[in-house]
Amino acid sequence: MKLASLFRVLVAVQLPLSIHGCSTAPSQQAPSPVVEQGQPSINYQAPGYQPAPGAATVVTASTQAPAVVALLQQAEQQANAGDLESAAASLERAIRIDPRNAVLWHHLATVRLSQGEPMQAEQLASKSNSLAPGNYAQQSRNWLLIAQARRQLNNASGAAAAERRARELGAR
Amino acid sequence: MVKRRKRGRKKTRRKVAKRRPNRSLRVRIVMLLAILLAGYVVYLDFQVRHQFTGKRWSLPARVYARPLELYTGLELSAEQFVTELKALHYRPVVSPRESGQFSRNKNEFHLISRPFDFWDGQQAPGNVRVSFSAGKLTRLTDGRSGQALSLLRLDPVLVGSFYPAHNEDRVLLQLDEVPVSLTDALIVIEDRDFFSHHGVSPAAIARALFANIRAAGVVQGGSTLTQQLVKNFFLSSERSLTRKLNEAIMSLLLEWHYNKDEILEAYLNEVYLGQDGNRAIHGFGLASYFYFERPLAELSIDQTALLVAMVKGPSYYNPRRHPERATARRNLVLDVMTELELITVEESARARARKLGVSDYQRKAINTFPAFLDLVRRQLQRDYRDEDITSEGLSIFTTLNPQVQWQLERVLGARLDGLERERKLKADTLQGAAVVTSVQGGEVLALAGGRDPAFAGFNRALDAHRQVGSLLKPAVYLTALEQPQRYTLATLLDDSPLTFTARNGVVWKPGNYDRKNHGDVPLYQALAHSYNVSTARLGLDMGIEPIIKTLRRLGVEQQLNPYPSLVLGAVEMSPLQVTHMYQTFAGGGFRTPLRAINAVLAADKTPLQRYQLSVQSAIEAAPNYLINTAMRFAVREGTGRSIYQSLPASQDVAGKTGTTDDLRDSWFAGFTGDHLGVVWIGRDDNKSTGLTGSSGALRVWRDLFTQFNNPGWVQPAVEGVEYHWIDPKSGSLADAGCQDAVQLPFITGSGPVKQAPCVKEKKALPDPVDWFKELFQ
Repeated sequence: MKLASLFRVLVAVQLPLSIHGCSTAPSQQAPSPVVEQGQPSINYQAPGYQPAPGAATVVTASTQAPAVVALLQQAEQQANAGDLESAAASLERAIRIDPRNAVLWHHLATVRLSQGEPMQAEQLASKSNSLAPGNYAQQSRNWLLIAQARRQLNNASGAAAAERRARELGAR
Repeated sequence: MVKRRKRGRKKTRRKVAKRRPNRSLRVRIVMLLAILLAGYVVYLDFQVRHQFTGKRWSLPARVYARPLELYTGLELSAEQFVTELKALHYRPVVSPRESGQFSRNKNEFHLISRPFDFWDGQQAPGNVRVSFSAGKLTRLTDGRSGQALSLLRLDPVLVGSFYPAHNEDRVLLQLDEVPVSLTDALIVIEDRDFFSHHGVSPAAIARALFANIRAAGVVQGGSTLTQQLVKNFFLSSERSLTRKLNEAIMSLLLEWHYNKDEILEAYLNEVYLGQDGNRAIHGFGLASYFYFERPLAELSIDQTALLVAMVKGPSYYNPRRHPERATARRNLVLDVMTELELITVEESARARARKLGVSDYQRKAINTFPAFLDLVRRQLQRDYRDEDITSEGLSIFTTLNPQVQWQLERVLGARLDGLERERKLKADTLQGAAVVTSVQGGEVLALAGGRDPAFAGFNRALDAHRQVGSLLKPAVYLTALEQPQRYTLATLLDDSPLTFTARNGVVWKPGNYDRKNHGDVPLYQALAHSYNVSTARLGLDMGIEPIIKTLRRLGVEQQLNPYPSLVLGAVEMSPLQVTHMYQTFAGGGFRTPLRAINAVLAADKTPLQRYQLSVQSAIEAAPNYLINTAMRFAVREGTGRSIYQSLPASQDVAGKTGTTDDLRDSWFAGFTGDHLGVVWIGRDDNKSTGLTGSSGALRVWRDLFTQFNNPGWVQPAVEGVEYHWIDPKSGSLADAGCQDAVQLPFITGSGPVKQAPCVKEKKALPDPVDWFKELFQ
């Protein structure tokens, strides 16, 4: 992947972040207190019972943290200056602050791909997918990246399958 | 042989002496001597140039904790912040004006951070105000403009060094990093003619000679800085005329080849300024840390004067041992500085009035966290030679979180003491080890190798390989849950008595810890309550090979014997290896290599190596979600439920206890959305501790995790999973109205079809809601 296209993605960072923030605002508080035993409820039936599947989208408040945004911008500058490893280091700092942010993992995957590490790029993109259940737009971006990674590895059929996946998800 | 030749030579000399020496012979002798001397000088010249140009001080590697990143929302209390600032040797002042100073007003701080060279370049110092409330950083603003700031990275706490064998230590400085006040003072005190002489100063020698004759003893040295440097660099400390002569010649040569700045810089780094046990303190850079716990640039004028004063005799003027002598000499230095107008009379008066300001001498172990440093060193040894680690001046940036490390050390020690009192055991009978990591990044945040955190010996977290017992069960259950057509969390397992005869005739009769059998139990409960019999039967049903394959995917690398007893944990692992295995569960099915190091910088601060964050998909997200759900039941209603005696019920945790035969080992491995912790308690003699996983290790884990605020879910959710109400007695479908019904996740399409009798109306159940679709449409 060329740097220009890499940082078209990075520049767009603020956008996915704010979308994230809006859609998850109501679920930012800690898990609701436990309801008495034997009184089933959709959120918690008793201690330990599964939070409602909707809790999937619980995202910590730090998703929109200015610290994360600042580090993303820094990563962008570093990558534009050709210092990809520093960009990766900045993204890792951001992940340390907000470990479940699928956008950050996606960007790290992008940097690794630019560094000629397609295998790790695919793994990181899969990780990003696992942190973005239901977020088909993010998943579609990840699958596109996986397609590129597979192409670098001369896996044409795998790349085509990943592209198909990306298109399907993009259409949802 | 030798004797005879000597005698012969004497004879000749006598003969020569008898004769009247002729002129040409005298010339010849003089010429010969001149040639010899010239040769000698050439030899010395080679020595000087070779050693000075090639002079590479062996610099120990410096090991740093993770830098504290300040940002709004950070989980950190004001008190923890103060602890961190103390460890960084920031100084409390009324109003901070320089780097390394801070002021505090209740929960509000004003500080000026230090610049620091990180892997990605220099972090500029920040002048900031920070506020805390309820264990969180609530506000970060610019100290002058008051504008909100997004992030500030502090300099990292130095947690240790790797020294070369001869224990020489220094903090290397370049001349432009040394305050001018120091070099000025040094020159006026030690060598006033430094910038004009050629290595030796006849005037100074004459002055010293005069002073010494008057005092009838050695009171003053006539050595220039160059001579002192030569003495330290090349020569022994014996006092002889030859040595003096060598010193003079070499000084002249040094001045001939190198300029004053080069010589001064070498001097500043080489001068001996004290002793810390068997560690020699060389150079002003390190001396500043050793006596004042701060960088040279942050010293006040009286402190600078004290360091200069000590050059004459670091032991005689040791400010910790002989404060009066040191004060008198410091004041003498200040007087000379005033006389030569390096400082004003007022400055001098203020400086004289001040106490020595030397930090308390703590003969602390040089390395604060020896067990963690042991792990760092082992990881380094994969990439570096030992001599490079100890002499190349590397900066090693680790993942250590000192806050977590301090908490871990405290709770482990206190809990082991408590357990011994409670069980009336002799003190120090029990031992423990623990590892704490970050869930997504696999960074080792804290590590305890034993109950005494200062002990640098046997590191149990890395080297105590013990039976893991039930800690292995999640691998067995995961193997089952990866076959959704055969097993789900609701599948009933047979817990009735089991006798298994192996092909070789060996009979195996596993029993439950409570010595009871529980009939048919749903799979999730069998794991939550850690039933051995149903687990053994499950393992025999599936075969041992698939379970070994699962363990391999989880990153277990050691030899595994394909015996049925494996499913009950007949395998020995270290706490660190167990952590690696659980890291994959905690990381949502992604295996992450555990890292203790983030980056390494060379002595000149150029990047050498980064240890990248990397992941490897090992377990599909959906079955991983199911096994985590079962482990969440283990701490809600199973063997780990005592966790919630002190953790808030809202805290989501997944975990597993482990207990081995005769209660030899007590284990607990558990994780939240943010942290994974593995704790082991046992005895070094491998005798019984009398503790189960939950009565021992779990309590240490609980003590530690109540200190954290981990609001996140263990594994928020995954695609390909749907929820059903289940009647646990029958494992059949129930509805919300059924007594004891639980909601369980199933891999899509694998839920039971049969309805439990408690479902009154045989109505068609609605499809499970696709929450993701709804939320994102």
